[in-house]
Amino acid sequence: MIKRHSTSFALVLAGLAYFVPTVAGGAPAAYTACTTIAILAVMSYGADLILSYLGEVSLGHTVFWAAGGYAAALLSVNYGWNGWATAGGAIVVAIVFACLLGLATLRTREFVFSLVTYAAAVVAMEIAFNWSYLGGSDGIVGVPPLDLPFFGWNLGGGTNDELWLIAWLLLMITLLFIHRFRRSRLGISALMVHMNPDLATALGVDARRVRLAVFVTSAPISALAGWLYAYQRAYVGTDMFESYFLVLMLTAIVIVGRRMILGPLVGTALIIVQQNFFSIGGDGDKIVLGAVLAAILLLWPKGLVGVWDLLTSRRAQTPRQSA
Amino acid sequence: MNLAQQLINGLVLGSGYALIAIGWTVLLGAARLVNFAHGQLYMLGAFVAWAIMQKLGLSYYLAVPLAVLMLGLLGVLLQVMMLPLVMQQNLTSLMIVTLGFGYVFTGGASKIFGGDPQAFVSPLTAASIRFGDVWFTWADVVTLVGTLILFAVLWLVLNRTRTGAIVRSVAEDPKLAQLFGINAALVYIGVFVFECAAVALGAGLVAPRSPILTSMGFDEVILTFVIVVLGGIGSVGGSLLAGFGLGMFTALFGALVSPAHTTAAAFFVLLAVLVLRPGGLAAK
Repeated sequence: MIKRHSTSFALVLAGLAYFVPTVAGGAPAAYTACTTIAILAVMSYGADLILSYLGEVSLGHTVFWAAGGYAAALLSVNYGWNGWATAGGAIVVAIVFACLLGLATLRTREFVFSLVTYAAAVVAMEIAFNWSYLGGSDGIVGVPPLDLPFFGWNLGGGTNDELWLIAWLLLMITLLFIHRFRRSRLGISALMVHMNPDLATALGVDARRVRLAVFVTSAPISALAGWLYAYQRAYVGTDMFESYFLVLMLTAIVIVGRRMILGPLVGTALIIVQQNFFSIGGDGDKIVLGAVLAAILLLWPKGLVGVWDLLTSRRAQTPRQSA
Repeated sequence: MNLAQQLINGLVLGSGYALIAIGWTVLLGAARLVNFAHGQLYMLGAFVAWAIMQKLGLSYYLAVPLAVLMLGLLGVLLQVMMLPLVMQQNLTSLMIVTLGFGYVFTGGASKIFGGDPQAFVSPLTAASIRFGDVWFTWADVVTLVGTLILFAVLWLVLNRTRTGAIVRSVAEDPKLAQLFGINAALVYIGVFVFECAAVALGAGLVAPRSPILTSMGFDEVILTFVIVVLGGIGSVGGSLLAGFGLGMFTALFGALVSPAHTTAAAFFVLLAVLVLRPGGLAAK
């Protein structure tokens, strides 16, 4: 009974989420903010799988994010593929990259893993910057409006209020996927490998295989966010590799608390609302974003949820996440 | 191609890389802490020295030591903030915290120093020496000699003195070291201060080679990644060798193949080595 209620509650919440821009006034700025939040939240969920469930810091998820964007731009501009086909392309490219990088980092842990994934992002950016096929330093301009034929309808579009439907759908599918992942065999094994690797090994879990599988699973999520971002901006460039996105994903994950299903979404929303409506200039926003990231981890390593627990002193009664 | 010139370039580049990497190597060896704000600290070191020269009118020879001092003080501040996490050895959170610090430094520096490229002029760069068809500057000589001296002193301190023994014992087992009455927190602060001061010195010697930008951050020192990992985590001698090796690789690859792809090529080497030897070249 409880499970059925929580499912219908989640569905109602998901449905209501679609009307957030309308409730927020329906102005173009509201649609832009909501679409951006949905896209960047999906990007963060990719990195969230690694940080929250494997306990590693992937600094290479900008590669998958950018790969999705470049796949969308390249395939639609040069080959005229529609949105479904470019999304398929983005997923395939991300999986191939994730397999390569995952195999290269199979035996690395902790900071070596982070260093190597960061190195991969640098290499990828240099290649994109110097290779004219990928637009070089100019990037790829003139990405057409998103064309997503669906039984005679076009679900896509070019403006933010047209793209909101897809951004919302993508976000909901991602949330459903993360929810399923947390209950899946892989999700449970990942958490076990993270929390107690010796126990996991003793129970017959192959830690390396689990790590590789989670890494490869996470890549297409960030890539699909990049895919939609390419259509939203009608342009992709090497700025998709910038540390802004990296710092944003990490902040979005830790701000509310790791292993919270809605955490990255709420975190992204807080950051984008600050940057779009309460901006104190580009440099000021950087200080805010970086300071929030550092302060959260220094003061409340569990995130804002930890603060909540502290305030209500209910920590002792909160059932612990089973490992 | 002038081979002798490229070898000199390789030596000079390599000593610069090693100098910028040294603080990081020691930090990683002693505290197992990766500081992802390393590049931004390099940027701050260069800009603080530049600002002292511009605004206070002091000479380069005073500005660089002052910048080293100020960065050292910044190091105390940062490490005191991170101390609870360091004592718990919560490495995942620490890595992310330093990324946050780096982002704050980038934003803060461009607010204070502006977004334009600046000329950080060293009198040593202007003075050049020519032997036949080989050419280098006094800055190159100072960097090379200074790096060798710094590494030698550091090696002696770490391996031949009581201070070094304390640092090594904390690196080996912080809890056990504390049982023997060693103040691990103080060691962590000392090591972090060394990192900040060393990177400021590196910036003072290396940054005048090109215009400085507040956005340069990580991209400028990205190659030191390769050195720290290739040299073997925390190995002083290894990072010096890796620094020179990488300098030679960069100079020769740039001259023979393509300067634009040098960084990417260096990282491919790193990836290949890590697949074969995850502990770096110095691993047993």
